[in-house]
Amino acid sequence: MPSVSTGHALDLEKFLKSLKGQPLEASVNSLISLLKRRQIKGSEPCAVATAHILLQVVARSKWHDVDSLLINVSRTGRKLVDAQPNELVIGNIVRRVLGLIRDEASEDRGDTADESASDAPTPTDIVPPASISQQWSSKRFDSANSVAPPPRPPIVSSYSSINPPKSLFHLLSTSPPADGDVSPFRNSGSSTPTWRGNSGQIHALRSEVIDGIEEIKDEISQVDDQIAASAEVQIHPGDLVLVHQPSTTVERFILRAAQKRKFTVLIAMAPPRRHSAETTQHTTFRKKLSAAGITVVNVMNGGLMAYMSRVNKVIIGARAIVATGGVVADAGSAAIARAAKEQGAAVVVLSGVYKLSPESPFDESSLIEWGDSSTFVSFADGPLVCGAEIRTALTELIPPELVDTYITNLGTHSRDHLSSLISDHYKREDADFHIWEGALP
Amino acid sequence: MAAEAGQPAPKSEAPAEKKDQGDQKKGAKDQSKAPAAVVAASEGGEKKLSNAELKKKAKEEKAARRAAAKVTQPQPPASAPGQGDSAKGGKSKPKQDGPQAGAQHGKTPAPRSAAPMTAAAPKEAKPSVPECFSHLAMAKGVNLTHADKDVHPAVLLLGQQMSTMAISDSTTRLEATLLAFKKLLSLEHTSNKRLQNQVIDSYTTPHGTTLSRHFTSHVLNPQIVYLTACRPMCFSMGNAIRWLKLQISKIDIDMADSDAKKLLCEAIDSFIHERITLADLVIVNTAADMIAQDDVILTYAHHHLVERALLKAKASGKRFKVILVDDPFERVGLDHVKKLAAAGIPVAYSPDFGALRTNLQESTTVLVAAEAMFSNGAMYARAGTCDVATAAFDLGMRVTSLCETINFTERVSIDSLTYNEIDPERNTDEEFRLLFDTTRDKSISAVVTELGICSAKSVPAILRKLEEL
Repeated sequence: MPSVSTGHALDLEKFLKSLKGQPLEASVNSLISLLKRRQIKGSEPCAVATAHILLQVVARSKWHDVDSLLINVSRTGRKLVDAQPNELVIGNIVRRVLGLIRDEASEDRGDTADESASDAPTPTDIVPPASISQQWSSKRFDSANSVAPPPRPPIVSSYSSINPPKSLFHLLSTSPPADGDVSPFRNSGSSTPTWRGNSGQIHALRSEVIDGIEEIKDEISQVDDQIAASAEVQIHPGDLVLVHQPSTTVERFILRAAQKRKFTVLIAMAPPRRHSAETTQHTTFRKKLSAAGITVVNVMNGGLMAYMSRVNKVIIGARAIVATGGVVADAGSAAIARAAKEQGAAVVVLSGVYKLSPESPFDESSLIEWGDSSTFVSFADGPLVCGAEIRTALTELIPPELVDTYITNLGTHSRDHLSSLISDHYKREDADFHIWEGALP
Repeated sequence: MAAEAGQPAPKSEAPAEKKDQGDQKKGAKDQSKAPAAVVAASEGGEKKLSNAELKKKAKEEKAARRAAAKVTQPQPPASAPGQGDSAKGGKSKPKQDGPQAGAQHGKTPAPRSAAPMTAAAPKEAKPSVPECFSHLAMAKGVNLTHADKDVHPAVLLLGQQMSTMAISDSTTRLEATLLAFKKLLSLEHTSNKRLQNQVIDSYTTPHGTTLSRHFTSHVLNPQIVYLTACRPMCFSMGNAIRWLKLQISKIDIDMADSDAKKLLCEAIDSFIHERITLADLVIVNTAADMIAQDDVILTYAHHHLVERALLKAKASGKRFKVILVDDPFERVGLDHVKKLAAAGIPVAYSPDFGALRTNLQESTTVLVAAEAMFSNGAMYARAGTCDVATAAFDLGMRVTSLCETINFTERVSIDSLTYNEIDPERNTDEEFRLLFDTTRDKSISAVVTELGICSAKSVPAILRKLEEL
């Protein structure tokens, strides 16, 4: 992201280094404050930090079965989401990790079905396997009687029909194929007794989940390369390509295309701020492009409608994509996308799959992050400070109908395909983890 | 005129003689210089040369200049001072050629005479406008020393103000231009005369010709060429200059000089009064009336019409809110916000286009002012206006544009790159900025003019009506 100047990258690095020496709780707290202070900002650093901290949670927190692991992860995730609710990637990574744990648990359970049957659970531990949320809420109910259970997610009702008596359930659970549909709910729920006291199994699960998180980290680091691979297909010789405050993803994409094609790049610059030497914006990017023989023009206009009759493609780096296909991007890009639509220029959004969120906003203004008003107006300016309300948006939502194509590390997608990508990557039961976990202390 | 004619003559003669001495060995090729010098010497007195003659003279002078340049190279110190003067005289000549051509082909701001541009070219070779926008006009500015000697000091000053964007909006430029032209005609001899040895303070028609036939081509056109060279004319200036030329041509040949000048001055005064002062007043009042109680008005950057309309509405006791979206690269809105806030209007200031849709959703109407209106109903306004108008239209809001009819043009523009201007300070690859954009008529709900509120589609009808007036 353009906002990730070296200073913030340093904060991320420092944080990652500090992970080893600190106890888990301290690491989580320091990440929360870094997020709140916006010292780690931008979707990629946030995603990396979240993946790291969750890895620590899996590796170092105390858990003796799958469910307590799920609770630990989602509890930490919830705190992180609260710290920076506008960074949807944090929630995405937490969901990915939760889904990963469920998958690993169900796989292992499939292997060890016989053992689980012999391991008779104590009656107090047995919980109706209706849903994890129910199970969790009942646990929480035990711990804090005064707090009412949170509302069950609507999806739960579909499972409530399969709520057999305990004894019958245990008969069934010994033979997984008989279940017909092996839902992750059932598996994780019924796996509660399975893991009890089986340290070897826990150890295996732990290492598998850690491997999975490492894979997510690798994925995040490779996203830019994979997206850039489709650059040549999208950019044609002679095109006039407009990029808005290019992020590293967009820069890599353009640079890859520049190896093979001759085209012109217009860079829509970020408006000059009060205390900064803005002249350094994107200079290395410009140099690299010029070296490749590409004409680069820095455009200093807020509204870009004037240029759109010449522009062939608009390339926007996403901060996040919501389930409807709306794109959270740097402020100003919605106006650019609208202008492109007006003149029929294609709007291409670049984003790693990890930025694709199953959340959809209730109201588009909820995704706007408001920034420091003093970036443009001096606090010394009395009449202005007293008389006017200053609104500095940092991000905004591009409505889905203004976007033509989404390019992710998995390829090029249309808007209709996003829902299947979401269902591939997230478990339905994790969709609202931060809501149904909301009442937890 | 007479005083001035005597002065340059000896100067231009001196270098010519020097040239002759230096060039003697060069032979026949250089013979053209002698007549050139002679013509240059007599130029001040003989103003009534025909077009063809002027052209020929210009050509000869160019040849002489080239030869002179060749000569001076081996021995620069000796002839340098005289040389500079002669080059200057030479440069000013083809410029005078320009206006005639321009006047005959039409009053368009776009065709700027080539001469002043080539004169400035060697100096401005460094900044290169990106190729894909190289067709667009740009305020180049003219160095005062390169300006035509016939340009009136008031116009010289105005040209500098325009090229530095000190006077930038269409109506203000128009008013300033007309007032400067009035000074050309003014009868009083100002005290400046004593201070400057070269004052074209007021105009007197030479013997043997009449004001209606002489003034336009010999006095007015050099001013226009100079102004155009400083910054391309805006549409309203084109309209007004066409009108002024018509008025001049309509003057009776037999009318006394002083009467004619008085008549023209009065005409200019009433033009300014009717088409600018009163027009603004009517527009401001109409726009203020359109603001309803509890409205939330979104406006873009700053325009004096919008500002006056908002202040007027406030003064008439209406309670409303303003959201001001500023031009991120030229913060003209900040002062606007201060004025509005000082008047007690609640203002929200958004420094760029971030969250434009959210800001729009909160507001009830969009109020912008146009630089010009094209006859297809398109609005030519500060770059970014189109983005605001389109987004507002998407949300089904009313977009009102304020524009005096003097800014209406019979031209048609369908995209923003047909007519536009490049910011003279940001005209390179590294920093590029367009000053205007074009909003299509479909995103404009109403245009408020001094003739009333109309739809954007009815601009050609108004233009027709104006022709009849």
